[in-house]
Amino acid sequence: MVFNTGAALLDAIVLAVVSRESEGTYGYKITQDVRKAIEVSESTLYPVLRRLQKDDCLEVYDQQFDGRNRRYYKVTDKGVAQLNLYRTEWESYSDNINRIFEGGGM
Amino acid sequence: MNRLEYMMRLAELLQDVPEEERVAAMQYYNDYFNDAGEENEQKVIEELGSPEKVAAEMKAGLGREEGEFGEFRDTGYTDVRFEEKNSPTTYEKQRTHQEYGGHNDGEQAVEEKKPWTNKWLKIALIILVILVALPVGGPILGGIAAAVIGLSIAAFAVFFAFVVASVAVFVSGLVLLIVGFFTIVSNVASALLMIGSGLLFMALGAIATVASIRLCIIVVPGLFRFFVGLIRRIFHKREAVVS
Repeated sequence: MVFNTGAALLDAIVLAVVSRESEGTYGYKITQDVRKAIEVSESTLYPVLRRLQKDDCLEVYDQQFDGRNRRYYKVTDKGVAQLNLYRTEWESYSDNINRIFEGGGM
Repeated sequence: MNRLEYMMRLAELLQDVPEEERVAAMQYYNDYFNDAGEENEQKVIEELGSPEKVAAEMKAGLGREEGEFGEFRDTGYTDVRFEEKNSPTTYEKQRTHQEYGGHNDGEQAVEEKKPWTNKWLKIALIILVILVALPVGGPILGGIAAAVIGLSIAAFAVFFAFVVASVAVFVSGLVLLIVGFFTIVSNVASALLMIGSGLLFMALGAIATVASIRLCIIVVPGLFRFFVGLIRRIFHKREAVVS
């Protein structure tokens, strides 16, 4: 990939992916979903999830699946607010870039 | 390298992070392998990269959170050593956290959690001490407890003996009196002696009985309190050591 994904954008993508599942989702699926959008090393996602969890943007709970406990991640209210902020920031950011690329005026 | 070897190596590398973090990370990667399925085991190991890399990335994330806080916020968790290329998005990130006050919350949460590991360590140490000390301390404590119980029973017995002795004096006086009445026909002199001493003994016995019962009423509850207090103090002392 030519462009890098900065930490804030990665946070935003992870929050967006997790928020798509109202009941929460689990590590492997989050990784696969994120990797559909951007190239990211599989080992990169865990520290992101852990930190978002510590920042109270994500909450975790364990649920039985297939005879074992699986850890699920769910977006908190604070996480939703954070995601909305990322969305508006991204909109203006990408609009500006697009305008320049398309040769329009600033 | 198979899954088991991978996980064991990872656990080994995470020995120096707080237990809470290690457990959470191990659970995450264990889940990860489970969810990827057995057939993808090798693929997952390849894509995750070496356990060394996974551990280093994790520690980098943790380290920044506890140490250089400002820098952590600015550049995110990302470990530049392993990221192919990454540019910090300083401006947005900073603003975001100022507006949401996420900054302080995060910091506090981390600080509050720290004593946890200490507490667990303390409990583990105490268990160890108990395990080690039990074979030696057990018999000694048992001996002390037996001595205390024995002494308390002895003390109660002494006062009970006073009562019994007084009653015995009274009874012997009564017997002398009765025998004296029977011998009054055959031997008046000895009969009178017996009746007299019998009455005397009865009187003394009665007085002694009343006095010793009274003594018991006063002393026994006092003794009881003393021994209960003693036992309580011993247990309190042990609790104080434990906490």
